[in-house]
Amino acid sequence: MNRNLQQEELLRIATQMNLEFRFPAGIHYERFFRELKETGRIMGVRCPECKRVLVPPRPVCGECFVRTGEWVEVGPEGTVIAYTSIYFPFIDGSTGKPRSIPYGAGLIQLDGSFSAINHILEEGDPGKLHIGMRVKAVLKEEREGNIGDILYFKTIEPEE
Amino acid sequence: MGKRVAIIGTGQTNHCSSREDVNEMELVYEAASAALMDAEMTIQEIDAVVLANMELFEGRALPDMWCGEGAGAFMKHSFKISTGGTSGTSGAISGYYHAASGLFDTVMVVGFEKHSDGNTAAGMALTDPFWDRHIAAAAIGNFALSVSEYMADRGVTKEQSAKVAVKARRNACNNPHAHLQMPHLTVKEVLESPILAYPIHRLEMCPQSDGACAIIFASEKIAQKKCPRPAWVRAAVTRHDHIYLGEVKHRLATMRSLRAAAKSAYGIVGIREPIKEFDVAEIYDPLTYAEIAWYEALGFCRDGEGGRLVDDGITQMDGELPVNPSGGVISTNPVGASGTIRVAEAALQIHGRAGKRQIPDVNLALATGYGVYCWSDVIILSSKPG
Repeated sequence: MNRNLQQEELLRIATQMNLEFRFPAGIHYERFFRELKETGRIMGVRCPECKRVLVPPRPVCGECFVRTGEWVEVGPEGTVIAYTSIYFPFIDGSTGKPRSIPYGAGLIQLDGSFSAINHILEEGDPGKLHIGMRVKAVLKEEREGNIGDILYFKTIEPEE
Repeated sequence: MGKRVAIIGTGQTNHCSSREDVNEMELVYEAASAALMDAEMTIQEIDAVVLANMELFEGRALPDMWCGEGAGAFMKHSFKISTGGTSGTSGAISGYYHAASGLFDTVMVVGFEKHSDGNTAAGMALTDPFWDRHIAAAAIGNFALSVSEYMADRGVTKEQSAKVAVKARRNACNNPHAHLQMPHLTVKEVLESPILAYPIHRLEMCPQSDGACAIIFASEKIAQKKCPRPAWVRAAVTRHDHIYLGEVKHRLATMRSLRAAAKSAYGIVGIREPIKEFDVAEIYDPLTYAEIAWYEALGFCRDGEGGRLVDDGITQMDGELPVNPSGGVISTNPVGASGTIRVAEAALQIHGRAGKRQIPDVNLALATGYGVYCWSDVIILSSKPG
């Protein structure tokens, strides 16, 4: 069936929905975000078998299929192991609105953690970003218990 | 070991940015009808139907419910596979399993996606609400992170990346189904296109397409009767890596899931030198840098030589191992169908029905799927049942 789209008025249904969701955090995210909110500490869990420290924390180590155990503090300093500068207004999934551009983003290996975490970098100029640069988490003053409590990672100037 | 199974027919829509003239069921019906015509079969001869779709992108739940009848699934054994970008290859692997089990003689797989119906950016943003949503920047931002690692790890250049985009869009000109056909695209134009996420330019990334693709799998007896040159499934392997991007370090350089799937599949078929033994490959290349990384992960060259393969033209249409004569995912990307298209295109090359994009004398073909942060499928097709 060939339709002449230049001549035909196509019928479309336009919809907009406002939906509410409530996601229970579960034991591990709850501990992580309470600690971040109340003490400003970033916490991971260690796998009792492979000893990897996982951030974000979770109940099971994917590689060993055993329950994770001991809680350990990581960061707040870390090393950038991958970076980018975003020039496209992607949707911020926590607000549903486009993020202002450009901004820097990186994979940050927090000191004491096996996992790296993806987060926003203070530095947004790709010419000034490099793998191996040292950064430190900058937290909100009034924290709410979500990942946005880490505002961004600021560049630590190398010591003279 | 499963029973012998071959692909005996394929069908595709013409993929483009917006098929506003039809709804999704009609898109599915177009591909399913084309595959039945290609196999010279009727829907009554199909025992089971597998549907593959990404979900969320169209903003409509249960796509199998709304589109299943368009694939002829009414009152047949049928269900849907949804594994992100790998949906289309995982659907094909599921179709193969159905037939290889001996429980079904004929299985039709239909992969489909109609990006223009919904909001792909919203679909991509609906990740883990506690962690990813605040900071993830869709597929492009996540890839950009991995590309910075990959360039540092392997020394791949921007020019080598751009050459992959040029190859893809030029190959697409030989494929009447392809979305982005750019016969005169140059490396300079690719590198002058806007940067979406440093260092990735718009023309290095896959598009969003509307499209569907269907494949018909058949048992040995039916395949021998119905198809002059069946594409026999010799291996089908899937592997999933970690859930968080930060745990898949050096993702493009290591690509553990693809390496593991390829190692297993090559072992099943007995492949030692993939670049010499495969006649063609249709690999899931979401962006240019990934295609180069997949060359290394698939053992087409040693680690660090992916860029050289591009420079030497090894993977061009007239090279030692043509990669993506169809134009690949970089040229055409209806996500739920993109993997199915890889398998269909590999099968077409063995059937000898690939038209202007046909590589001469194809006996062994590779198809791969890529999804989520780091999931991989590998499928090997052969002109010989093994």
